Amino acid sequence: MPLDLNLETPDLWLALPQFIVFGLAIALLFGDAFVARTRHFVWLTGLSLVGYLAALVALVGQANENATTFYGLFRADGLTVFLSVIILSAAVLTVMVSASYVERLEGRMPIGEFYVLLAFSVLGAMLVAAAGDLVMVFVGIELSSLATYVLAAFAKRRLTSVEGALKYFLLGIFASAILAYGMAWVYGVTGSTDLDAIARSLAASVGGDEFLDPALLLGLLLLTVGLGFKMAAVPFHFWTPDAYDGAPTPVTAFMSVVPKAAAFAATVRIFVQALGPLRDEWVTLLSVLALLTMAFGNIVAISQRNVKRMLAYSSIAHTGYMLVGLAAYQATGGTGFGAGAGDGDQGVSSLLYYILAYNFMNIGAFAVVTWLQHRGRGLTLDDFGGLATTHPLAAAAMAVFMVSLMGVPPLIGFYAKYYVILAAIDADLLWLAVAVVVLSAVSAFYYLRLVAVMYFNEPEGQPRQADTRLLDVGIAGMVIATIALGLFSTPIIDLADKWESALTVAGQVAGR
Amino acid sequence: MGELGVDHFLFLSAALFIIGMMGVLTRRNLLIIFMCVELMTNAVNLSLVAFGWGLNSLDGQAFAVFIVAVAAAEAAVGLAIIMALSRRQRTVDVDALRSLRD
Repeated sequence: MPLDLNLETPDLWLALPQFIVFGLAIALLFGDAFVARTRHFVWLTGLSLVGYLAALVALVGQANENATTFYGLFRADGLTVFLSVIILSAAVLTVMVSASYVERLEGRMPIGEFYVLLAFSVLGAMLVAAAGDLVMVFVGIELSSLATYVLAAFAKRRLTSVEGALKYFLLGIFASAILAYGMAWVYGVTGSTDLDAIARSLAASVGGDEFLDPALLLGLLLLTVGLGFKMAAVPFHFWTPDAYDGAPTPVTAFMSVVPKAAAFAATVRIFVQALGPLRDEWVTLLSVLALLTMAFGNIVAISQRNVKRMLAYSSIAHTGYMLVGLAAYQATGGTGFGAGAGDGDQGVSSLLYYILAYNFMNIGAFAVVTWLQHRGRGLTLDDFGGLATTHPLAAAAMAVFMVSLMGVPPLIGFYAKYYVILAAIDADLLWLAVAVVVLSAVSAFYYLRLVAVMYFNEPEGQPRQADTRLLDVGIAGMVIATIALGLFSTPIIDLADKWESALTVAGQVAGR
Repeated sequence: MGELGVDHFLFLSAALFIIGMMGVLTRRNLLIIFMCVELMTNAVNLSLVAFGWGLNSLDGQAFAVFIVAVAAAEAAVGLAIIMALSRRQRTVDVDALRSLRD
């Protein structure tokens, strides 16, 4: 009997932004080989920026797209577009932050290879966001992670960089194996790797007062552990401070946003879209993880004297806030944000807005650290002493990012927490909402301590002069975004609300 | 003697996965930890193929092929990073990784 292959022509236009980033990575590889080394800085930096911006423009054309292609492996929907915008803007900002650092500090690292790895990591994260199948989620996460491991080890002459990368790598592949095992069990129970098909199969079999199939529960636990490692949730966070501390600072900025965004993209795709019928089970798991992560990250950050480590623990805490958003997911009965709301969910929208906000303020904070490293300052709190006297603008920018990370109105960090808290209250998770508020107050201690050190301590030594124009523009852009995107948060949260189109392809509504 | 079924392969795969996991958690040599993770990955492949056999679908095997490809890339990256470390300090013992601390 001949195999029935059901071949169809894939709709390549749906994947245009991803193809542009892929093309960029290949072009960078060739540029690295064939452009003279002296021109690498200008040409390859320019090529990267143009490539990512072109992909962003291509995304705008897909704003209202809602379709799948490549036999259901690839999806273009509201979730894909919103997450891809975050990932691509993080890529643009990383290029601006890293260009002069890679070129000048740490013994002149090969900038061409740096951009190639960056492009592949960005591509992997975008593929996770657009995944419609467990295989695609796995391959995307791995593409993104493998490139990031190398980036973390990029200052290979410095032992701490290699050591941090090694810890990141070992725990990363360990987590990947656990994640893959979880996927295998979900496949074994539901009979498919397609996210929509899994949801349909579960909707038909799960429900009522019956106990959950233990095999399914095992799969769920394995997936939670695997994704918990990738997003740096407590108790799966051990690698985070060392990897963030060891990596070159611009890479840390990138690592704290894009792999985390990819991990949350995978979590939304798998838990919400495929395992939606198991919502009651995973919401409990994620709420506990959220509380642990917020509490641990914020409390340990207080004792850190190294600013990079402090920001690493702060990023763990922010993972916790994001998890609150996810735990507030409601399959039915939510009130939704925005004008046309009435039915729908606030949890995932608030999570998406949070990642967008976190992108600007966190890369911004690491960008200021990079800016200071160019001027010969170190990474400890004391190195920030008197920054307001010697570099008033840099101090002001850092203060904006710190206050925004803390969650003070009218900055973007406040609105991010505001939406997460609203979603938690709407989902009857009052205790989590209270925890967000209390632990944000705790976080004020270490964020404001840095601000106080910058404004009230005396400066030490003469700073070095440095010309970092691209970085200056990047920091200015992030300050503006941190202020403006908070003031105009309503249209953005409306855009984030469009993620729900991910659930409406292929008649999946019935399964919700 | 009964017939060999999907369950047998699942038990074998679970055993291999747990052996690998124990190895990662207890061994101190980086290369052995790395090999234990590879063992876990291959246990996953075995599960996927067994499930695919039981479900009479090819998805499991296709997934396993992707995981093999990813594991090959992991090996390349991992060995490169371990090489870079052993050039800095002449050991591959995890307990020697102590330059980054709180």
